Amino acid sequence: MMKLRFSWLGVITFFILMFTIAPFLVIVPSSFTSENFVSFPPEGLSLKWYTGLLDMPGLTSAVIFSLQLAIVTAILSTVIGTLAGLCIAKYNFKGKQTINTLLLSPLALPALIIGIALLVYFTYLGLAGSFTGLLLAHILITIPYVIRFVLTGMATFDDNLEKAAAIMGAKPIRIFWDVTFPLIRPAVISGTVFSFLISFDNVTISLFLVSAENMTLPLLIFNYIQQNLSPLISAVSTVVILISLIPILIIEKIYGLDRLFGLNSNSH
Amino acid sequence: MEQTSQLKLKAPSKLEHIIFSKWVVYLLLTPALIVLIGVFFIPMLLMLVQSLTDEQSNFTLANYALFFSEPFYWGVLWQTIKLSTFTVLGALILSYPVAMFMAQSKGKIRAIVTFLVLLPHLVSVVIRNFGWTIILNDRGMINTILLEAGIIDQPLRLMYNELGTVIGLVDSFVAYMILAIATSLYTINPSLYKAGAIMGANKVRNFISITLPLSLPGVYSGIVLVFSLSMSAFVTPTLLGGTSVKVMPALTYQQIMFTLNWPLGAAISFILLGTTIFLVSTFTKVTETKRYKVVFKS
Repeated sequence: MMKLRFSWLGVITFFILMFTIAPFLVIVPSSFTSENFVSFPPEGLSLKWYTGLLDMPGLTSAVIFSLQLAIVTAILSTVIGTLAGLCIAKYNFKGKQTINTLLLSPLALPALIIGIALLVYFTYLGLAGSFTGLLLAHILITIPYVIRFVLTGMATFDDNLEKAAAIMGAKPIRIFWDVTFPLIRPAVISGTVFSFLISFDNVTISLFLVSAENMTLPLLIFNYIQQNLSPLISAVSTVVILISLIPILIIEKIYGLDRLFGLNSNSH
Repeated sequence: MEQTSQLKLKAPSKLEHIIFSKWVVYLLLTPALIVLIGVFFIPMLLMLVQSLTDEQSNFTLANYALFFSEPFYWGVLWQTIKLSTFTVLGALILSYPVAMFMAQSKGKIRAIVTFLVLLPHLVSVVIRNFGWTIILNDRGMINTILLEAGIIDQPLRLMYNELGTVIGLVDSFVAYMILAIATSLYTINPSLYKAGAIMGANKVRNFISITLPLSLPGVYSGIVLVFSLSMSAFVTPTLLGGTSVKVMPALTYQQIMFTLNWPLGAAISFILLGTTIFLVSTFTKVTETKRYKVVFKS
């Protein structure tokens, strides 16, 4: 009886998971179609849409731009966020709880509102539509994730190890590089990789900050889909899925995706 | 014992330590705070001011008044609330079985299910929406299958309407609901079920008296999360709802990027934020009082 009920739940779960994965199950095959319209099941087999990628206007520059933006965002957010995270985890100071809440607050507001606020602000500063503007925006929304990763990483941290190193005569910098950092390295690297992913995927904030010269890949796809539904987009999407899969698997390997719990609350 | 007391004595004077760490605290926090103030607080403040000023930079509530005096805008707000509510219901129905399955399974299976729940979520929403387009459009997967099977002879309108929008939104946010419910189910003490069984309760009874009430905190936080996210979703209503579905974020976008009426756009987005906060906190208040009532009854 128990076994039967269990498996029914399993079957239902299977179908629901199929629903959530469905978009990927159709995108990849549809990119190999030989027709000129996205269809499923795809008719014929061809690689013409992949060779067509090279001719898609703006694609190459958007890919390069998005990768650059995501990499610089990830590096800067990691440095800034790790410093702040360490500080909150290790030191007791006045107003610590408030500062912690404030540092995480960009995640509590809808991305749409942050995007508009930054557009207004950057227009005053002359940064609207620039790389710097997008970079600052992406850093803002990824720092909270890095801080949270570091805080979870530090939750199981044993202060005695640092004390032991200090007693043995190690200098603070050396303690950090030889004791503290290796222990929180998985959390920090996950923060970096996750920041890359958030930046690389972002649509809602970038929407207000891109320009014709500085166009990110998701925005290029977004604009393209609204005009026509070509299998070309299936091919682009397949490539993006593959690019996104690398960081996802890295996080799963070194940190565990399940520990992301509650971490991703504003990726739209 | 003696050694520890000696170590304590040898430690540097407390004062020195405090001064050192205070500087370190400032040093470590400064970069993050600069970003927070310079790229978040100031812009938000500027936007608020923007929504409260007219062309001559005088204080005015006209932008907010305009929104509430125009029935069209009311309609858009209502549509947004309606779609978000449907999304919450859809997500709730799909989430509960998955969360229960996750709570009942262990080790590898639970890890795999968790991975599959989170995986789609980490790929751009634009791409997921495009996948739904392939499934739902007039010549898409579902219509092709139904037409060829002879079940329908006209393609069904599955997207560029409210249905498509809700499907896309449910798919976007269901992961939050699943994780919220699963976390609350994980904390249920298994001996409660044994106690229930000893008292003669069957599976259904156990579910109604143990699983369901104890999962409610997770359900409530899932509802709050999914509702707030749906209220401010822009991409999915645009791509899967098309021009026929008008929601607040799209209205804001239009005011900001095309009509270039920034004060009105800013006001609309604050109205959206205010409405969301009001509805969510009312919901939280109601569900909490209800919970206290249950406590006092028993």
